[in-house]
Amino acid sequence: MSSSPRNTRPSDLILLVILVVTMVALTVAFFAGGYWDGMFPPDAVTTQGDEIRSLYDIVFWIAVAIFIVVEGLIVYSVIRYRRKPGQDDLPVQTHGHNLLEIAWTVVPTLIVAYLFVISFQTLSSIDAVARTPDVKIRAVAEQFRWQFDYLADDGVTTLFTEEVATADLGGGMHVPVGVNVQLELTTPDVIHAFYVPRFLFKRDVVPGMTNVFDFTIDPAEAGQTFSGQCAELCGTGHRVMLLDVVAMRQTEYEAWKAAKIEQANATPAPTASAGPVGVTLTVGALNIAFDQLSLEVPADQAFAIDFTNSDPPGVLHDIDIRAADGTVLQDQPTIDGGESTTYTFGALPAGAYTFICSVHPIPAMTGTLTVR
Amino acid sequence: MATTTTVHPAAATYRSGLYEWLTTTDHKKIGIMYVVNSFIFFFIGGVLALFVRAELAQPGLQYLTDEHFYNQIFTMHATVMIFLFIIPMLAGFGNYVVPLQIGAPDMAFPRINAMSLWMLPLGGIILLSGFVLGGTAAAGWTSYPPLSSDRPLASTGPGQDLWIMALILIGTSSILGSINFLVTIFKMRAPGMTLFRMPILVWTVLVTSVLVLMATPVITSALIMLFIDRNLGGHFFDPATGGNAVLYQNVFWFYSHPAVYVMVLPAMGMISEILPVFSRKPLFGYKAFVFATAGIGALGFSVWAHHMFTTGAVFLPFFSLMTFLIAVPTGVKMFNWIFTLVRGQLTFSTPLLFALGFLSMFLIGGINGAFSASVPVDYALHDTYWVVAHLHYVLFGGSAFGVFAGVYFWFPKMTGRMLDETLGKIQFVLMFIGFNLTFFPMHVLGLQGMPRRIADYASAAGWNDLNLAATIGGFLIAASMIPFLWNVLVSLRGGTPAGDDPWEGNTLEWATSSPPPPYNFDRLPEIRSERPVFDMRHGHGAGGHK
Amino acid sequence: MTADSHALTEVEHSPVAGLAHDARGGISNPILGMLLFITSEVMFFAGLFGAYFNARAQNTPWPPEEFAHTLNPLSLILVATVILVFSSITCQWAVNAIRRDDRAGFLRNMSVTVVLGVIFLIMQVYDYLLLFEEGLTHTAGPFGTTYFTLTGFHGAHVFGGVIMLGVILYRGMAGQFSSRHHDAVEAASLYWHFVDVVWIVLFSVLYIL
Repeated sequence: MSSSPRNTRPSDLILLVILVVTMVALTVAFFAGGYWDGMFPPDAVTTQGDEIRSLYDIVFWIAVAIFIVVEGLIVYSVIRYRRKPGQDDLPVQTHGHNLLEIAWTVVPTLIVAYLFVISFQTLSSIDAVARTPDVKIRAVAEQFRWQFDYLADDGVTTLFTEEVATADLGGGMHVPVGVNVQLELTTPDVIHAFYVPRFLFKRDVVPGMTNVFDFTIDPAEAGQTFSGQCAELCGTGHRVMLLDVVAMRQTEYEAWKAAKIEQANATPAPTASAGPVGVTLTVGALNIAFDQLSLEVPADQAFAIDFTNSDPPGVLHDIDIRAADGTVLQDQPTIDGGESTTYTFGALPAGAYTFICSVHPIPAMTGTLTVR
Repeated sequence: MATTTTVHPAAATYRSGLYEWLTTTDHKKIGIMYVVNSFIFFFIGGVLALFVRAELAQPGLQYLTDEHFYNQIFTMHATVMIFLFIIPMLAGFGNYVVPLQIGAPDMAFPRINAMSLWMLPLGGIILLSGFVLGGTAAAGWTSYPPLSSDRPLASTGPGQDLWIMALILIGTSSILGSINFLVTIFKMRAPGMTLFRMPILVWTVLVTSVLVLMATPVITSALIMLFIDRNLGGHFFDPATGGNAVLYQNVFWFYSHPAVYVMVLPAMGMISEILPVFSRKPLFGYKAFVFATAGIGALGFSVWAHHMFTTGAVFLPFFSLMTFLIAVPTGVKMFNWIFTLVRGQLTFSTPLLFALGFLSMFLIGGINGAFSASVPVDYALHDTYWVVAHLHYVLFGGSAFGVFAGVYFWFPKMTGRMLDETLGKIQFVLMFIGFNLTFFPMHVLGLQGMPRRIADYASAAGWNDLNLAATIGGFLIAASMIPFLWNVLVSLRGGTPAGDDPWEGNTLEWATSSPPPPYNFDRLPEIRSERPVFDMRHGHGAGGHK
Repeated sequence: MTADSHALTEVEHSPVAGLAHDARGGISNPILGMLLFITSEVMFFAGLFGAYFNARAQNTPWPPEEFAHTLNPLSLILVATVILVFSSITCQWAVNAIRRDDRAGFLRNMSVTVVLGVIFLIMQVYDYLLLFEEGLTHTAGPFGTTYFTLTGFHGAHVFGGVIMLGVILYRGMAGQFSSRHHDAVEAASLYWHFVDVVWIVLFSVLYIL
């Protein structure tokens, strides 16, 4: 070491070539595969999201500039200042340089001060909460489902409740575009987070606290559905806490809302007549999923389901039967994880129905019941 | 200087054998056992990570079909890597190197030092025993209540209580270790070694110890409160009876953010020792570096709530500003390191490669961290894979690369044998590629909306390819451990004898034999700068000063 | 590699002897260690106090009405407070005595300190029993939980302190301390003063504020 260095060994050169070629290839693949666009958030669909996106772009390009300058400096130094054969004398022992050191303290301070100021400006805009929003919805997060209470103008009374959180099951949080929607977040159990990637936004749902935020969906997005999910670990079924936001034109929204209110006020369907049990089926639940998603029973005859909940204690399941339009026809009590029971259902006329876990109205716990 | 054949008189008293290792109070043996113990847990944590990556490689549940078990796996991965790998690993290097670098015969309290060590495997066994006792903790390494306090909803079995007990034990070990470091550094420096002649590693261990001393007891209090809530009917964090769920997060992060600096400052110290040696120049801006380290330590206590921006219960402007500001001292260090290279004479031995890996990867980890300081941007990024990318660029790209730099640098001192350079470079290349392949795609995944801590994702979400890439990268990192382990095994027996000072080192550990005798030194060189061995070799003031 | 033997200085002490002593004079290693340990203990209690003040800010009235009469500062607890403060004084007398090589005075005062510590613990247990009769337990809402956690952990520290002082007393009786060699006594007394100060803060916050 104290003598001048040996020449570079061939194995070192091979490894260097492997390193450089692989990193370059990965970088090229990253750009060629179209992933560079992925370094930006998806296009925002709310006015608040648009502002976050503009801020992100500024932060991102500053970050890219800093990265190129500093990483470039590292690479340059590594190439330029490698020890060459014959360099036996010590290099100049530089201990520091006051001006340089002051410069690289002051300049970053100015950059972060600028970032703080623009972040703070954006923050006060997107965190603003209207006193009288156009639409007010209370999202209730529970292990492991979302439920949306649509509130009256007083902001307290529930007009109706959307119990199904995803659009593929005919539900979802329907909201009008172009108006200010206020979302109030509550939970009776553990911490969750309301997260819709295309809002570029999330907010925790904390027990004992009510979080509120406003958003306005861009009018151009009417007819779109935006998926989201719980972003704060909330237990075994965290992954299945999906939700959809359905953006509607104002008029469509009003019609949807009127239909929902009417449905909520309608007298429940007459309970199906009980009778001797015909067939008995077996259904199990594990990992927040039914073990079968299609059942068949004879028409006009009561039937039973032996139901076993194999999830851990605390994870409740049940089997309800709903009509095609989502109306609950037969409601069964939930059972705890590790328990089993036999549900008896009244006779149903021939047709297609849905059997669903009312605690987890998600695809994995929604099956079709064919009655013939 | 003594040649390798010189037998130090004290070496005769060195006993060998298992009993000696189990009962030793010698800081060098304890330091080596810290390192070995940490590597064992590194491999355990790594295997757990491979489980996670294997499950996420494609949509659908393939391997960990029980999602509760999946939650246990990632909870244990993080807990093991943070509390049983990085923190003790750096403490191990501190233990080995600090007394040598300050010219002390041992740590101030050798028996307490041994106790700190042995608490770690005990804590690890308690933590992981959940796997055979009905389930480990499964509420994430942060274990937020009510999820972690309300048993039926989150975890079954005794795992969460085992987690609490293990962390209290490991925390106590850290506190005792930090007291030991502080007394050793304040009281046992060799004559002539003033504070501003201490090697940078000693400075970073000093600041780290202050952070541990002040912050760890606070998480102990949080863990005890959680335990009381869970087992004794307490009401600290249960909102239903007047408690406050966010209180835990505040107390938890009051420790766990400073803990991030505990996990990275000593690694910064290690590469600050390595870069000057391999560029044959002193560290550029020694004093600025010391002040930046102290500044990070001080600011580190005022940024904890940036982990809680989305809770809606945080005074945002203050924590945002502080989080931005902490980038400044970190940037100062980055430039100090780079200008240590500038106009140097770089020899690309394996320690330098890993140190350069630290520089280039930690840079990314610092820059993508600044995104989260901007509260509105954090609203988009929080709890997504972006954060997973960020923390791994800091803790793996930063700390773990630093650790390997340290292993290659001090292995000759610890064992008297050199590690093989070719195997070392193969490891570096595999690890560097694997690391970037694993964690860079996570930026994109996070931005496109993939949340953390999920076992599965919809095929239609468009995350398939990048997840597969990340999994391939993860297994590449695992593969890079094969040349490393092989290297260690082979070099222990047959490596080139190292001699006292194989690298032309700067600091006092290179002035004694390899391995050093009990109580380290028979004679010490005169200490007139932070590079006493350099001064001894070239004369004080050699090479011209600027 | 050139060996500049004249650039090497012998370590002043033999390395083995250097282990037991600190090289730099000033405050001794055990005492510095204890001061640092106390720092960490302060942070531990800071965490518990943080939780207490948080609970207090969130729940009104504080204390809850049914327990408003339970924490009366002018009761048994005041006597206990005086006892603990006095034990701190006797502890310091013991330290001063051993500094003067007055072993008899050291043992006398240290014995009194240990006895006072035990009396404090007994009084605290008795006070707990009285509170239990009033229905104030650690499960009685945030008020009960924080009260018993704070006082309970303080009590545990008093218990630890009594053990520590007991060991000191035992070693003192064995004649292990002198004016030149009594770092352990100083360190234990620092800990005891710390426990005392924590109690004064606790008493002020819980009973008076």
